[in-house]
Amino acid sequence: MTLPTESATARPQEPSKLRATLGALALVAIVVGGGFFANADWGSLSALFTEGWKYFGLMVQGVVQNPFAEPYSEYWLQALTGMLESIAMAWVGTLIGALLSIPLGFLAARNVAHPVVVQVTRVILNIIRTVPELIFAIILLLPIFGFGATAGALALGVGAVGTLGKLTAEALEGIDPGPVESARAVGANGAEILRWAYWTQVLPEVLAFWLYRFEINIRASAILGIIGAGGIGSILNQAFRYREWDFIGILFVVIVVVTLIVDSISGAVRHRIIAGEKAKSRDEDTASEAEALL
Amino acid sequence: MSVAAAPATARPRKPAPSRLLIGGLAGVVAITVWAAIQIDFTLTPLFTDLTNGWVVIEQFLNPNWSYLGRTWSAWVETVSIAVIASFFGVAVGLLFAFMASRVTNRSGWLYQATKWFLAVLRSLPDVAYVLIFVAIVGVGSMAGILALFVFNIGIAAKLTSETIDAVDPGPLEAADAAGAGTAGRSRWAVLPQILPNYLSYALYIFELNIRASVVIGYAGGGGIGQVIQVQFARFNYENVSAIVIAMFVVVLLIDQFSQYARRRLV
Repeated sequence: MTLPTESATARPQEPSKLRATLGALALVAIVVGGGFFANADWGSLSALFTEGWKYFGLMVQGVVQNPFAEPYSEYWLQALTGMLESIAMAWVGTLIGALLSIPLGFLAARNVAHPVVVQVTRVILNIIRTVPELIFAIILLLPIFGFGATAGALALGVGAVGTLGKLTAEALEGIDPGPVESARAVGANGAEILRWAYWTQVLPEVLAFWLYRFEINIRASAILGIIGAGGIGSILNQAFRYREWDFIGILFVVIVVVTLIVDSISGAVRHRIIAGEKAKSRDEDTASEAEALL
Repeated sequence: MSVAAAPATARPRKPAPSRLLIGGLAGVVAITVWAAIQIDFTLTPLFTDLTNGWVVIEQFLNPNWSYLGRTWSAWVETVSIAVIASFFGVAVGLLFAFMASRVTNRSGWLYQATKWFLAVLRSLPDVAYVLIFVAIVGVGSMAGILALFVFNIGIAAKLTSETIDAVDPGPLEAADAAGAGTAGRSRWAVLPQILPNYLSYALYIFELNIRASVVIGYAGGGGIGQVIQVQFARFNYENVSAIVIAMFVVVLLIDQFSQYARRRLV
């Protein structure tokens, strides 16, 4: 008893994979080319397993020592002080960047400023965004402020202006025009409209961006440490110079733990600001969106 | 002929600011004061030492363009480091992304462990990784590749796992109904959905890696950053200036290309 065969439609042909194959081949060629031109000493990779393990063991040894005995108590204290200095640097830097980014954000918003001003401001913001903080630090640090945390904070601040200004401008462009109209209808002047119709609407979002930038700046402040801007980065750099692996292990633990704590506090505040007391779904989107942009 | 006055309702009183707001503001002020004291923040050098700094700034304003020709191989090295580190970092990151999403990882403890591991990985700054790998494999581009590789795993896994969390559950149900295992449903129900976003993240990470090359090289990871460090240490500010401006152009070009490619992908 055979079932009647269904009207034999031919199986549709598989779509061509030519483009995907070519893309994959090109990628392989680029990666192989990269491997060739990177001048990397591939043979030294084996050191990862020999030296790497040894150093890892030494770091763990430093961490598990009694933290109240010399010299480990000194190590922990230095690490914590350095980390606090880094956080202070990141905080001041973020604040400077935030304050500078407010006027620039308004000037870069199409629904606020004149088109020519918008274009000029956007170019400036883009330039700032592409130059790494380290470069600002090199230019600001050395000539005017000397080596120190003030120069580091300023470099972080200038570096933050680019992204914060751009995000503020984008938030301003996305506001609800209703409040602007009603403010105009009751006779508010230009400054009042900006303050009460524009700024109030974007404030929660902008505050969340600031906090997010603060989290980023904590990591960036460690980078500035390697050219002598103080904080945990400078201490880390020195510890590496003398290869004090037990101290390095302690420094890593302090960096990871403190960063995670500050991140979670700042993240909780961000969620609270954006979502208010309720709603927990939309804020996640905003956060990761901001992340992709920064 | 006067219009009857509207019934004069008293203007409602302005609500008092909430305690949370006052507390928050006080907290911000307190932290700011503490932070400023902690780092001895001062702007006076801006007024007193501007003339001292002017000598250096003048050199920055006169970039030595002829020096750029000699840095060609360092540029190639920087781009090569970024290519390799992004490629392998993003590939390994995909694996971690699947492990860091409840959608594709149905083992509770493995999910938690992966999340924690990635959070720790991300909390160390890139420069710390460079310092570690310089100590292990020595100064040079190998250290830079390894540092960026580890750093990229963290970012790629985070961004991609968030995309996986948000996939359309339909194909997943279909895969489950057809009897697919964990690997099968990840490959055939999840991967096709996240692929465009994933490729876009890969390009974004490549951009980040180019931008990070200054830092990487400065700490001993090879590429153009190392040239900047050497020139800076020798006080050749006009050479540094030329490289910085070239860097800016390169970053801008790569950003433009990558943004164009990302727009076509997503």
